[in-house]
Amino acid sequence: MNESGKGLYEKVKNRIKASQEEGTLEKQFGDFWKFACVIKTRQHDLRYLYDDTSREFVDKYRDNFIEMREEFVNNIDAYVEKCINIMRKKNFTVHYAKTNEQAQKIFMEELGDSKIIYKSKSNEAKDIGIIDVLKKNEITIKETDLGDVLVQLFDYKLPSFQVGPGAHFTEEEIAKKIKEVYGVELEPKAQAIVNYFRSTYRNELLNDVKISLTSANAISAEEGTIVLGENEGNISLITRATDKHIVVCGITKIVPNILDAVLVTQLQSRINNVSFNYISLISGPSNTSDIQGTSVQGMYGAKEVVVILVDDWRTKAAKENLIYADFLKCLGCKSCIFPCTASRAFGNIYASKYGLGATAIIRDYIHNGIEAAVSDGLFLCTGCENCYHWCPVSINCGEILKSMKKEATEKGLAPPDLEQYKEKILKDKNPFL
Amino acid sequence: MKKLIFLGCLSNSKYKKTCTNAIKIIQSIDPSYSVLDDVPCCGALSYHIGNDIELREHVEYVNAWFKKNDITEIVTTCAGCYNYLTTYYAQYLGQDFKVKVKHFLQFLAEPENLSKIELKHSGKKLKVSYHDACHLRNAVLPIIDEPRRILNSIENVELKEMENIKTNSICCGAGGGVYSIFKENSDYNSKLIFDQLNRGKLLLTACPFCYTSLSRIREENQIRKPVKKFEDFIVNIMEGVDPLSE
Repeated sequence: MNESGKGLYEKVKNRIKASQEEGTLEKQFGDFWKFACVIKTRQHDLRYLYDDTSREFVDKYRDNFIEMREEFVNNIDAYVEKCINIMRKKNFTVHYAKTNEQAQKIFMEELGDSKIIYKSKSNEAKDIGIIDVLKKNEITIKETDLGDVLVQLFDYKLPSFQVGPGAHFTEEEIAKKIKEVYGVELEPKAQAIVNYFRSTYRNELLNDVKISLTSANAISAEEGTIVLGENEGNISLITRATDKHIVVCGITKIVPNILDAVLVTQLQSRINNVSFNYISLISGPSNTSDIQGTSVQGMYGAKEVVVILVDDWRTKAAKENLIYADFLKCLGCKSCIFPCTASRAFGNIYASKYGLGATAIIRDYIHNGIEAAVSDGLFLCTGCENCYHWCPVSINCGEILKSMKKEATEKGLAPPDLEQYKEKILKDKNPFL
Repeated sequence: MKKLIFLGCLSNSKYKKTCTNAIKIIQSIDPSYSVLDDVPCCGALSYHIGNDIELREHVEYVNAWFKKNDITEIVTTCAGCYNYLTTYYAQYLGQDFKVKVKHFLQFLAEPENLSKIELKHSGKKLKVSYHDACHLRNAVLPIIDEPRRILNSIENVELKEMENIKTNSICCGAGGGVYSIFKENSDYNSKLIFDQLNRGKLLLTACPFCYTSLSRIREENQIRKPVKKFEDFIVNIMEGVDPLSE
């Protein structure tokens, strides 16, 4: 183990220590997360709504999911081309970015002189580095999903659950924070807090949005349709009541057709217990042909819909069969997080800036290398493969992490005890001598 | 042509009594199974971090040891050994790995073997729960039904399934060498397994790694219900000892 390895090991140890101490942010999040995971992995999960549990739902459609992902991964170039062609015919402005850097440049050009952008949760934008570039250029990012609004309000810097990033804040804490920041006294109740944001923020979302940013739950290649699921209505508002709606996502969001795209969206809803009360199917900018049959763009909805499809690591991973090539099949449903042994035990210690759990650590590895992954808690993975058993497309994150652990060991970053075990096995043929 | 009981490093160094019990059961079914000294480690913990060259060397060393001792069949009592021997040895050695590997639960669950030992619990009906270890449920040939077949065959013993079972089971948090570096993982997850022991009076596991983690958590949390290794439980039943009394 080298100095860098020692430093990373100590860092993870210290964070774990913090997660065990009462009153720390890590402990607060960890307690909430343990509860969420237990609820999710229980056998009656969502039985109060549906005839089947979300795990049974996954099993029912597993073959469909695997088929649609393999079809895409085996024909990436053809699907990307098909998708771009149909989208251009439907008057989307489409950019294909070979790298994250290109995507960031295109994004800033599309932003023009605007200094403010309204966004709904977009993990893809984080992955592509758009958020970092916006911050660097001092562009004001206005979150619209309440969870993200709260995270901004609290200036919460630790990794959080991508789907409900503010769900661990208590009603009392939120009411206190609102008093502190806005000087408004609220009853510490969820309803009162929601009423407050509805009365203060909704008007702004209806009237002031010029440029909005979203990702996509899925994009259908055959129809060129972007599917966006949500429960709050913020996505509906900021993708309609805007001049320009910019969609940024990796090319892996593409699925063969619209039925696949809706099925993927339903999967994400079921797995994350988020009721997608609104599902938007966006197939181009707002337009009308009501005057003499002349098609005019920009009636009441977005005047322009810009799609930035990003390749970056994706095609390379497939063509060179990199250790994370299987990750290309990921549907972003987060099935792997809830049953994960390490995620349950360590919450936002086993996480990266891209979110919680193994997939977020793999993303950090792809973009920032092995040291970043070790710092995210790579060696907390027990290799239990619960991620594999739950994954709708059978991605074995445990195996990907194992390859990463091997790379970390080669670079002197493995924890000392593990290395000692290995040495004893290989030299003495018995680890317990 | 020798049949070997492959006890595994962890059991051999920490759980001698379980080893004696495993040998007792296996040899009472098939006396041609033997035990040898200086059995090399299967390599378990090193697979998570070792590189291809060193792992291949180790696997070749162990295979040469099998050949030198004319071992053709083994029964492993360790879940980890079973998983690694069936996964990596075939992967690295292909056809050159000729040893037939069975886990203790597979061996015992074979109908002709089960019929050779009379398993009858003489006391009040005993409700037990079984924890599916990752090493067994994730193996190339998963071991999921075997322990259930064995338990269901024991007169006066009833299997009370926990909520998360089979491929859905909760990992004890000790795998992948994590137990030696970050015990907090097992602090939480092993406790979670005990929390699911609603109607079972006894928790059974066939993995010495899980046992190590579960028994520590039981002690630290002063949990009354015992955790027992499968081999120890079977010997209790064979010898008419109440499994709850020990």
